[in-house]
This record gives sequence, structure tokens and C-alpha cells, in this order.
Amino acid sequence: MKRQKNQKFFSFNFLKKNQKAQFQISFAWLFAIIVGAFILFIAIYASVRVIKTGEQTTSAITGKEISVLLNPLETGFEEGKTTLLKMPVETRIHNRCSPAGNFGRQTIEVSQKSFNKWPETGKEVGFSNKYIFSEDITEGKNFFLFSKPFRFPFKIADMIYLTSAKKDYCFLDAPERINEEISDLNQENLFTENCPGNSIKICFKGGSGCDISVNENIRSVEKRNQIVYYETDALMYAAVFSDKDIYECQIERIMQRAEELSSLYDDKATFLSSQGCLPEVNLLAFGSFVSSIKSSAELLTVRSIVDDIERENNLAECKLW
Amino acid sequence: MKTKSQKSKILATSSMLGQSKAQMKVQQMAFMLIAVTLFFVLVGMIVLVIVLSDLRGSAALLEEKNAMLLVSKLSNSPEFSCGEAFRGTRVNCIDSDKAMVLRDHIGKYSDFWGVSGIEIKKIYPAGNAVCTYENYPECNKIEILPSSSGTGVSNFVSLCRKEKSDEGIYDKCELAKIIVIYDG
Repeated sequence: MKRQKNQKFFSFNFLKKNQKAQFQISFAWLFAIIVGAFILFIAIYASVRVIKTGEQTTSAITGKEISVLLNPLETGFEEGKTTLLKMPVETRIHNRCSPAGNFGRQTIEVSQKSFNKWPETGKEVGFSNKYIFSEDITEGKNFFLFSKPFRFPFKIADMIYLTSAKKDYCFLDAPERINEEISDLNQENLFTENCPGNSIKICFKGGSGCDISVNENIRSVEKRNQIVYYETDALMYAAVFSDKDIYECQIERIMQRAEELSSLYDDKATFLSSQGCLPEVNLLAFGSFVSSIKSSAELLTVRSIVDDIERENNLAECKLW
Repeated sequence: MKTKSQKSKILATSSMLGQSKAQMKVQQMAFMLIAVTLFFVLVGMIVLVIVLSDLRGSAALLEEKNAMLLVSKLSNSPEFSCGEAFRGTRVNCIDSDKAMVLRDHIGKYSDFWGVSGIEIKKIYPAGNAVCTYENYPECNKIEILPSSSGTGVSNFVSLCRKEKSDEGIYDKCELAKIIVIYDG
């Protein structure tokens, strides 16, 4: 009996001890788990940060590359030209404009789709000598860029129009010069006839189903119930392809440059007169008018002065431009 | 025969031995973990240095690309271009009179083109006489945006101006180089 009792007690004690051993974790293990978890957390955190930095780097490099690629769009004798911009992945180009400073600033932010998400990189690339007209966000893999000089009456800058290859534009009842220009550009997403069904319709003579209406008499463009005004075809295209906030801001920037160029030509006139050739072009009024332009609606106010100085320059013995 | 106090002494010593063994293990583990962490930190730093040097390389390359593309088109920008001032439209033509005047406005244009220097140099006659209002047009170099250091890229242009003679005013064009200087 005693032996049996002893055996029972021993086996119970052994089981109890064994169970305890199963659940007991030594301090070394506990320490390893805690520190291991900490190292893992740091490693994951670092990886996420590295990926984010990589995205920001790619965005900044792509933005800078785009800005560099815009240099050849400076037009000379030729009127307009198209460039295709191919991206390796789906890309969003955020167009931002600020009129602050001497010539304002054009900035672009590139965001590339990764893991089915659009990361906000916050890395903007800015430049003062470019004027990009596009929607606030242009999305796609392929983009078309075309440029056209804006003369008012002298060349002020090249307007750059950025569109996504995903969006087609159909110019309906456009004047012959516009049709010819679009045909010459040979840009795949611009149509004057046989327009695809889902294209954005730009009507020049009104009608139903128009997304954008151009009124050539009062030189206005109506888009999403918002009206902007233009002078010359370069600004008409700008109004068609861009959002109102971008367009108005770029107009202000262009006028800042026009004011500076007017001052430059005025000084050139003084310089030429000291050399015995006096170009009688009155640029003072033009300079003061353009400096006060803050919106496209005010463009009309300088039209007559622009015509006057253009006439004076054409008649001058020493032309200023 | 061991006494009771001897037995307890032996037990205490063996448990102390066990404790110090465990402490040793913990220390080993801690040193190992610190070594592993340091290893990963070092690897990370090396990767970061490589990536950053690559980034600096891309930035320098983009600066160079920008300068090269800019120099080929800068003469067509309104601040330099001849426009129609010299009978007809000319490509890659710089208005010398306008360039001279532009020097006085350069304060506003200092960051405009995103380069550190711009100058125009006549090919013939060769020389380094910097143009001022006093010696113009008998000079060789118009410093639009002066720069003391950097790498220059150049492009050939025609440099035109109005010249006075006994027969009146005429257009005079010479071969020149436009040089864009960038930090690189």
C-alpha cells in the first residue's frame, strides 16, 4: 500500500514539475524575445522609411527630368511642336503655380502609383521660366506636351500645354487656322474630325453636348460654368487645356514677364537712340497697364495699346523686336 | 559524513554557480543582439551612402543635361532673341543690343534660368575684353550673368546689332558662342 502511495505521489509530483517546465520561460528567452521584437520593429520601420524616401527621390528626379525635357519646347522660328512623355508606371503630374516673386513660380509634383496607391511625396520641382497649362492633376502613363509662343505684341514666353494621352480632345467647327494647326501638330489625342465617342468636345459655334465652349468674338472660353478670357490662339489653347486657377495664375505670371520685357525694350530704345537710331515706340503705357493685370478679364484693356505699339514698332527704322 | 551546514553551503554554491551561468548566457545573448543590430545599422548606412552618392550623381547629371538643353534654346528666349528686328525671322540669333541692356536687369533674372552663369563670346576677333557701354561694340565678351566658377557648355549663335555708317543704319551679324555655366 505504502509503495503504491509513494509511486502515486512521485508520478503526480513529476507531472506537476514537467507541466511547470513546459510553461516556464527562462529569462534568457524572455530577453531575446523582447529585444528581437524591438529589432524587428526597427527593421520594419526602417524599411518603410527607405521605401518612402525612395518614392520621394523618384518623384523629385522625375519632376526635374520633366523640367529639363521642357527646355527643347522653347520655340524659335517654328510655331508649335509636340513631345511625347512616356512614364514607366501610371503617373500623376500635379501642376501648381504661384505669382509671388519677380516672375512667379511654376512647380510640378510627380506621384507614381505604387502598391495600387498614390503616395503623397511632397517633393516639388520649381522653375520660373516655364508656363505649363494643364489640369490641376494630369494622370496617365503617356503625356503629350506641345508649345506655342505667346506674342503680345512681342514674344513674351512659350506656352506649354500638357495633356494625358488618356484624354482625347475634339475641336468642333474650329476656324480653318486652328484645324490646320492641329493637323500639323499631329498629336494623337487632338482631333478635328472623326472624334472618338468619349472625347472632350470643344465647340467654336455653340451647340449641345459641348464640354468647352470657345467664343471668338468676345475671346472667352467657358468650361465647367467658369469663363476665362484670352488674347491670341496661344492663350485660347491655354484656356482649353487648363483649369481656371492654373490659367489665371499663369496669366498673372506672363504679365509680370511682359512688364519686365517692356522695360528691357524701353532701355534698348534708349540705348539705340544714343547710337543714333531712335525707335519711336511708346512702351511706358504698356508697361504700366500689364503690371496691373491680375486676371484674364483685364486682358481686353491693353488690346488697343498692344495694337498701337505693334504698329509703331513696324514703322520704326530700328525695330525693337 | 557531511554536516547539515556543509550540505547547505554546497547547495548555495551550486545554485550560485547556476545563476552566474545564466547571467553569462544573458550577457552572451545581449552582446550577440547588440552585434546583430550594429551589423544591420552598418549595412543600412553603407546602402544609404551608395544611394545618396547615386542621387548626387543623378542631380549633377540632370544639371548638365539642363544646361546642355538650355544652351541650345536660350537664344530663342525673348530676352535674347533677335525676333524680327533684323529683317525677317532668324533662329539661334541673339540681339546684341538687347543683351547689353539685359545686364542692367539681371538682378531680377538671377534665378530665372536655373544656371549660375551666362555669357556671350565673339568668335572673331578673339580676345577677352568684357563689354561695357564705353567700349561696345569694340569688345569680345558680354557677361550677362557673371559666374566665377562652374562648368560651361556652349552653342554657336549669330550675334546681331544695329550699326551706323555714312550710308545710314544697317544690320551687322557676327558669329559668337553663348556659354551657359552650371555648378558641376
